[in-house]
Amino acid sequence: MSAPAVGRPAGAAAVGVLARRNPTVKLGLLFVVSLVLVFILDPVTPAVLYVLALIAVAASTRIAPRALALLHLPFAAFGLGVFLVNALSRPGEVLWSAGPLRITVEGLSVGASLALRTLVIGVLAIGFIASTDGVRLMHSLHQQARLGPRVTYAVLAGYRMLQEMPREWQTIRQAHAVRAPLRPDGTLPRGATALARASFALLVISVRKGERMAQSLESRGLGLSPRTTWRPVRLSAADWLMAAGVLAVLGAVLLVSAMLGHLEGIDALFG
Amino acid sequence: MAPAEPVPPVLDLDGVSVTVPRRPEPILRDVTLRLDRGEHLLVVGASGSGKSTLLQAITGVVPHSVLAELTGAVRVNGRPTVESTVVELSGHVGTLAQDPSSGICLPDVEQELALPLENHAVPAEQISGRIDDALASVGAGGLRSRRTDQLSGGEGQRVALAAALITGPELLLLDEPTSMLDPAGVTAVREAIDAAAAAYGPAVVLVEHRLDDYAGEAGVAGLPGRVIVLGDRGDVVAAGATAEVLTAHAARLHAAGCWLPLEAELRAVTGLAGGLAAPPVREALRGLSTPDGAPHEVRPAARSGGGQTVLAVEGLAVSRDAPDRGSRRARRRGVPVERGTQYLLQDVSFRLRTGEVTALLGSNGAGKTSLLLTLAGLVAPAGGTVTGARPGMVFQNPEHQFLAHRVRDEVGHGPADAPPGYVDGLLGRHRLSHLADQSPYRLSGGEKRRLSVAAMLAHERPVLLADEPTFGLDRRDALATTAALRSAAERRSVLFSTHDLRTVAAAADRVLVIADHTLIADGPALQVLRDRSVLGRAGLRLPPLLEWLLAEFDGDEQVRRVLHRLDTAVPAEAAPAGSAARTAGTAGAGAPDATATVSTTGDRS
Repeated sequence: MSAPAVGRPAGAAAVGVLARRNPTVKLGLLFVVSLVLVFILDPVTPAVLYVLALIAVAASTRIAPRALALLHLPFAAFGLGVFLVNALSRPGEVLWSAGPLRITVEGLSVGASLALRTLVIGVLAIGFIASTDGVRLMHSLHQQARLGPRVTYAVLAGYRMLQEMPREWQTIRQAHAVRAPLRPDGTLPRGATALARASFALLVISVRKGERMAQSLESRGLGLSPRTTWRPVRLSAADWLMAAGVLAVLGAVLLVSAMLGHLEGIDALFG
Repeated sequence: MAPAEPVPPVLDLDGVSVTVPRRPEPILRDVTLRLDRGEHLLVVGASGSGKSTLLQAITGVVPHSVLAELTGAVRVNGRPTVESTVVELSGHVGTLAQDPSSGICLPDVEQELALPLENHAVPAEQISGRIDDALASVGAGGLRSRRTDQLSGGEGQRVALAAALITGPELLLLDEPTSMLDPAGVTAVREAIDAAAAAYGPAVVLVEHRLDDYAGEAGVAGLPGRVIVLGDRGDVVAAGATAEVLTAHAARLHAAGCWLPLEAELRAVTGLAGGLAAPPVREALRGLSTPDGAPHEVRPAARSGGGQTVLAVEGLAVSRDAPDRGSRRARRRGVPVERGTQYLLQDVSFRLRTGEVTALLGSNGAGKTSLLLTLAGLVAPAGGTVTGARPGMVFQNPEHQFLAHRVRDEVGHGPADAPPGYVDGLLGRHRLSHLADQSPYRLSGGEKRRLSVAAMLAHERPVLLADEPTFGLDRRDALATTAALRSAAERRSVLFSTHDLRTVAAAADRVLVIADHTLIADGPALQVLRDRSVLGRAGLRLPPLLEWLLAEFDGDEQVRRVLHRLDTAVPAEAAPAGSAARTAGTAGAGAPDATATVSTTGDRS
């Protein structure tokens, strides 16, 4: 059925080497790599990074090749769009033209770079989500990224509500369907109005439940200080090692790329 | 604190009144009470009498989180609640609310129990041991490594109770803790509360209206020793030792919709003490079984097999995970059952006839809801057939079914071309006329139920299915609901699921029992209830009164007459005062309307 898309279900520990690493460190690395990629606009560097990231993710998580390929779809589709727009619209040396359509060398290069950038960030995000338990992520953000306890536990309570929502939604849809006129072929209606009504019911019920949960959290003393932490999510030497490794590989790729003359920065946009 | 100083009471309310905006009359009026360390107090009153507001005033939610004016003083451990926030008070006050699903906040049981300890800065190395202790005290040691979304209602309430007590608060508030549980859950949570209260020793305030279930076999002795009774005006109308107050005010409480422990109920009706064991009480009950010639007092026996068949079920199988009918998968593959599918139910055959009220019984998880969904055409059968016109179905939670933003539109949604006055007529018959322009979501529990039944009846389907329609209602509302089902059956067939065998004996003509993945009994209601082997297989237990009545009387009419007179005797004579003022007052605030009078006989005619 439709499981909530917030990492792994709670308790079902993610498996693989990457799953044992600290979630905040993983998230930080994802952020750093994405940030660096913003300044790279040649196609070769992100292509190399993509291949390396794909190998790393496939090796360090237990994600099946088929699932990995399927999860690529949204990123690939977005990347293709970016590539086509750039190839067809960017000014520069015309490579091919037919009527109003013309493809430029600069367009191909920048477009390919942006598309490959999407894939790099995509495959790293897939690796992060597949290897990270949502609850552990929140605890880690609370401890390592100094996220306040109120925010942390509000998100976790929201996560719990999310777990129950598919069941609630199904019941509401059935409860509404029994009152709706049948379609000519005898099946139950599923129009926009029906969905809007069911959404409203779900909203009202969820807001109420949220209020009650907020009261429960308050009655457990959330927000008192000082507080202690049971079973902290630890930062281990392996986490630092992973961070150093990823940054070293990134630096090495950039260096080699620059030495071989492939690396291009923001000025590629204006060249 | 100097040792010479007297220990302040755990809870001290001094002339407390609470007023909310848009309601001229206070919800709570001049309440004074004092609770010492380890004392247990029961709070009873009709819905809308301010029981929940009283608890909110103690936790500090009133006035800190809810917009309300509080006069007088509430002190917890000698400290006025107005001076501390809800969170600051949380160290002294533990709360267990009604709904298990919102009383638990985190995805894992362990984390749920660790959270209060972490918040109160308990050293990390003590936490694991205290989690074990707390779970053991509520008899839930085995749940420690579970995910919270996989807990049953009874398990969830026990975990929430452990979380409320784990920091050792001096005061425990219980807000109808068992009202949303099935009988097995009620027993488990009830025992857990006793054991945990003994282990942690807090003072306890219990708000409850289902006193018969809560007290269980122990009767009045199973309730807290002290009680206060809140009246419809939000004031304390009686206080004292529970046994005495329940006896002296049994009639009033009965009228206010409380489900009294049996001995108090019998006292209210017969005026005699001693409960079912006492010979004079038994004699009085025998007296209730004789006809007095009053018309309409007992409905005529169902025409056996006389009504027209409106739904025929043949060899029906229900699987655990049948897809919705109407989904692409179901349509493409026809009947979507693979080899080896685990059926929830199979070989189920029966017919529903006009004029009959049929009860569907079975233990939790036996498949009652799945069967009803299949009959309603919402889930495709895994085998066999359901033939007949499309049934209507009332869901367990009325809020799941609301479509409109006004009560009137909700009822008017069904009939496409209703004659003028049709909707008003339905609103009137279900006592919803005064609420016609309100939002369905702002009604009280009983009003929501009446509305969901009225709205479904407006569709004029020949079969009405209802999933636990009396669940969680107070007695007045439960009686009104069964009366509505009975009157609906005059032109339809009604099938409702329930756990409440007394309701079944009083209101159903016929009973279907499911157990062991199939239909194990189908017959006249009392005949099935007399069959011990059927009850045993389905895990059903007769309440003591019904057990005695069925043993005492051979005739079904006599049993029904006694139950009917017990149900109607008291509420009819004691209509609460001040109903007009309250109805007007609640109209805007969305607070429950406590005063709708019940006339079960009127609805039936």
